[in-house]
This record gives sequence, C-alpha cells and structure tokens, in this order.
Amino acid sequence: MSSAIVDADALEPTLQSILDQRSLRWIFVGGKGGVGKTTTSCSLAIQLAKVRRSVLLISTDPAHNLSDAFSQKFGKEARLIDGFTNLSAMEIDPNGSIQDLLAGQGEDNPADIGGMGGMMQDLAFAVSAPMPIPGIDEAMSFAEVLKQVKSLSYETIIFDTAPTGHTLRFLQFPSVLEKALAKISQLSSQYGPLLNGFLGSNGTLPNGQNLNEMMEKLETLRETISEVNTQFKDENLTTFVCVCIPEFLSLYETERMIQELATYGIDTHTIVVNQLLFPKPGSDCEQCNARRRMQKKYLDQIEELYDEFNVVKMPLLVEEVRGKEKLEKFSEMLVKPYVPPS
Amino acid sequence: MPSLLVVIFAIELAVQIINNFGAAAINSVLWRIYTSLPTQLSKDYAQQRKLQAEYLACRKELNGTSSQDQFAKWAKLRRKHDTLLEQLEKKKKSLEATKAGFDRNVTGVRWALTRGPQWFLPFWYAKEPMFWLPHGWFPYYVEWFLSFPRAPMGSVSIVAWQSACTGVLTLLADTVGAIVGLVVGSKQKQGVPVGAGGNGVGGRAGEKKTL
Repeated sequence: MSSAIVDADALEPTLQSILDQRSLRWIFVGGKGGVGKTTTSCSLAIQLAKVRRSVLLISTDPAHNLSDAFSQKFGKEARLIDGFTNLSAMEIDPNGSIQDLLAGQGEDNPADIGGMGGMMQDLAFAVSAPMPIPGIDEAMSFAEVLKQVKSLSYETIIFDTAPTGHTLRFLQFPSVLEKALAKISQLSSQYGPLLNGFLGSNGTLPNGQNLNEMMEKLETLRETISEVNTQFKDENLTTFVCVCIPEFLSLYETERMIQELATYGIDTHTIVVNQLLFPKPGSDCEQCNARRRMQKKYLDQIEELYDEFNVVKMPLLVEEVRGKEKLEKFSEMLVKPYVPPS
Repeated sequence: MPSLLVVIFAIELAVQIINNFGAAAINSVLWRIYTSLPTQLSKDYAQQRKLQAEYLACRKELNGTSSQDQFAKWAKLRRKHDTLLEQLEKKKKSLEATKAGFDRNVTGVRWALTRGPQWFLPFWYAKEPMFWLPHGWFPYYVEWFLSFPRAPMGSVSIVAWQSACTGVLTLLADTVGAIVGLVVGSKQKQGVPVGAGGNGVGGRAGEKKTL
C-alpha cells in the first residue's frame, strides 16, 4: 500500500475509469501497427462485457485480426462471439463500404439498371481517385457503419482502428464536408424544379438515376456525418485509448496522435503500454535485461509526460494471446495492475 | 485660399515626389511612423516581437534536445513550440490585415490629395485665366494653344499651366537624378577596379560575336 500513498495524486494505472464511465458509447483503440491494438481492444471488450448490457467490437483494420484473436470468422454483420452472450464483433473494410453504399443505391431503385452510371459513381470516383478529399472515404464508411449500428442497440461500441492512425482524420474538416454537401443540397433545391421540368415528371436523369432520391441520400449522409461529429467530440460519449510499446517510434507516434486528437476535440485519457519485459530477478538473459533498461527509460518518460493519463502497463507474455481463455486472462490485467514476480 | 497657380504647382510637385520616391516606400515610411506612435498597435508589435523571440528560443532548445534521450522534455517543448507557432501565425495574420487596411487608407488619401485635384481643378477652373499674356507679343496660334481648352483668348489656361509645371518639374527631377547618379557612380568607380571586368565582358562579347 505504500506505493498507493506515494502516488496519491497519480491516476490509477488501470482502465477502470472507462469501465466505470457508463455514459461512454464509442471507444476507439488506436496506435501504431504491431503494438497490440487488437489484443487490447479485445481485452477491453471482454472487460466491458462484464459490466455492460451489450458490447460490439468493430474492426476497421483491413488486415482483420479479430477473427485471428478469437479463432472465429467474423464478417460485415455483427455476430456473437462464441462463449459470450452480450459481446458481438464485426469486421468492416473502410474501402469496401463505399462500394456497398453504391450497390445499395442500385438495389433501391430497380428502374436504375446498373445504378452506377451517375453522380453517385462520380462521387465514388472522387472518393477513391488519387486526390480525394482526405478522409471522405472513412467519413462515409463511418457514417454507413453508424447508421447500421444505431439501428442495433448496443450499449457500447469499441473500434479497433487501422494502424494508419488517420482513422479520425475526417473530423478535422467536418465544416468543409458539410459546406460542400450543403451547397449540393441547396443547388438541388434551387434548380431541382427546373431540372425536373426538363427531365419529365418522374425526374429521371439520362442515365436512369432519380435526382430527388439521390439528393435525399446525400442529405441523409450529411446529417449522419454531422451527428457523428458531434457525438465523437463529446467526452461523455466518446474516448480514445492509445496503445503503444515503450520504444521511441511508438512513443513519438503516440504523442503525435494525442496532439492530433486534441485538435479534433476528441477526449483521450488512457494509454496502454504493451509488451513490457519483466525478467526474473537474477536472470542472466543479457538481451532481456538490456531491453528492460531501455523500456524503463521510456516508461519514466511516459510517466513524466502523461501525468494526466491513466497509464496501464501490460507485460509481454511468453505465449501468443489468442483464444477466449487467454484473452480473458490477459484482460484481467487491464483492471488489476500486473505485479511482476519478485 | 492661395493662388490657383501655386496650388497647381504644389500638386504637381507632390505627384513628382511620389513618383520619384515610389508610393510603396512612402507608405512604408508612414507605416513605420504610425507604428512607432504609442498606440495599441505598437504594443501589439512589441508583443509580436517578444513572441517571436520566445519562439526562436524554444526552437533552439527543441533542436538542442534529444528526442530519444529526453522524450518527455522534448515532447513538452514540442507542444510549446506548436502552440507558440500557432499564436504567432494568428498574430501575424491580424497585423498583416491591419497593415493592408492602413495601406489602403493611405493610398486613398494620397489619391484624394494628388490625382483627384489634378483632374478636378482643370475641369472646374477650365474657363478661368491663370494670368494674361502681354497683348500682341505672341501670334494667334500660340495664344489659342495656351488658352486651350476653354480659357479666354490671350490668357494662359489652367491646363497649359499644369503641363508647364509638369514639364519643368520632370526636367528638374531628371537633372537631379542624373547628378545624383553621376556622383554615386563616380564614387563606386573609385572603389571597384573596372579595367579587368570591362575587358572581360568586352572579350566575352567579342567571342560571342565571332561564334
């Protein structure tokens, strides 16, 4: 207990605060590639499932690891994880969801053969072309996912984000996006009647698409995106868990990410430091001891720099953390700090 | 109201001076005077300079800190650096906007004081004689020309007077410019040995011609 007295003002080194914050709706887990994002997000999901009614774990990483971690295949539809009653998972591809959006557009309108002929396709091209509006693909895919997720009633949704670290980039320019879409809507309401006069009573465009319907779709998209923005910037609803390992580059990226999140106005107050080495006392493993010293150095730096964060220290295990049991055991350490064997 | 003769001359003189020194240079001198006055603006400028110094110091310290060995210190400096830079940019933008406004106003006033009267006065006093020519000294066509466009015959019109002033002042300005140029040029010649350079250029030009 002496350590508790010494660190009276330091924040708890656990994720308990996230478990306790019942209002949290969205939790993002992010960091550089290979630092244990997926393991952390799975563990967090397991812990959350114990205290929440229902939890959904979504991976937006194209290299889907959820299936690997739980040894179970997940797809675009939310599916219960084996052995849990209130924890589901799904894997989405940020690039694929635009294609889905377009495909959905085609299905909605049977008269529209192909459905890809018109402006939606132009939009999709603008999105996927080499010089797109940065982040619009992510924005659209998020909007799409959130529309789906909203209809399902999960209490908490955890995002295992892609390692590019730009998952939330679109939050930087909601105003730009909104302005552009608002302009389109405005134009359509101004010139829509005129165009419809040309196009005939049913307002069908030459390529078979319906103008009004398309404008409605864009309008809904705009509304969804702006709603997402307000939700993500609310610290009562959303938080970001930074995952790193005690190495220079990872730390550097984490600092950058935290600054970036601050500019977006997204709350973040937890850092999970993974892969810590705890060689047994008297161990003569030269590499382990050297590595331990280096990790210690960066750990000290982390504690000095992020004194307002919950810094969770996770040990490097001797086995891969895969499968329900191992993940459950690992996840315990998010709540009860790991004590190295002395 | 001073005599119209004098007013016209003064305006032309002002135009000449502005043309010769350059409007931008005059604006910047006025701006410097304006900012050195004890106003809110000069305070802003002082603040900006202080911020700049602070930023440079922070930058120097940042560059002197190893990000690998003292990550926490480095990251804190980096945060400070970024916020300072942001502040600086914001401040710079607002000061630039102020300067642009000032320039616009000064330019407007300058136009109102020079170009405006330069066009307006000849139009307004077109029928007024500036002074009368001695009767019979000049032939008819000279008198007609000098009273152009609408002044009474036998007088000098405002337009003629204006162009006379412009002509004289231009000549004077050219003379002064030439003399200054000559003096400065001769001083430079004393400093720089010309022979070798001249030869070199000449030689090269010659080579080019033969090629």
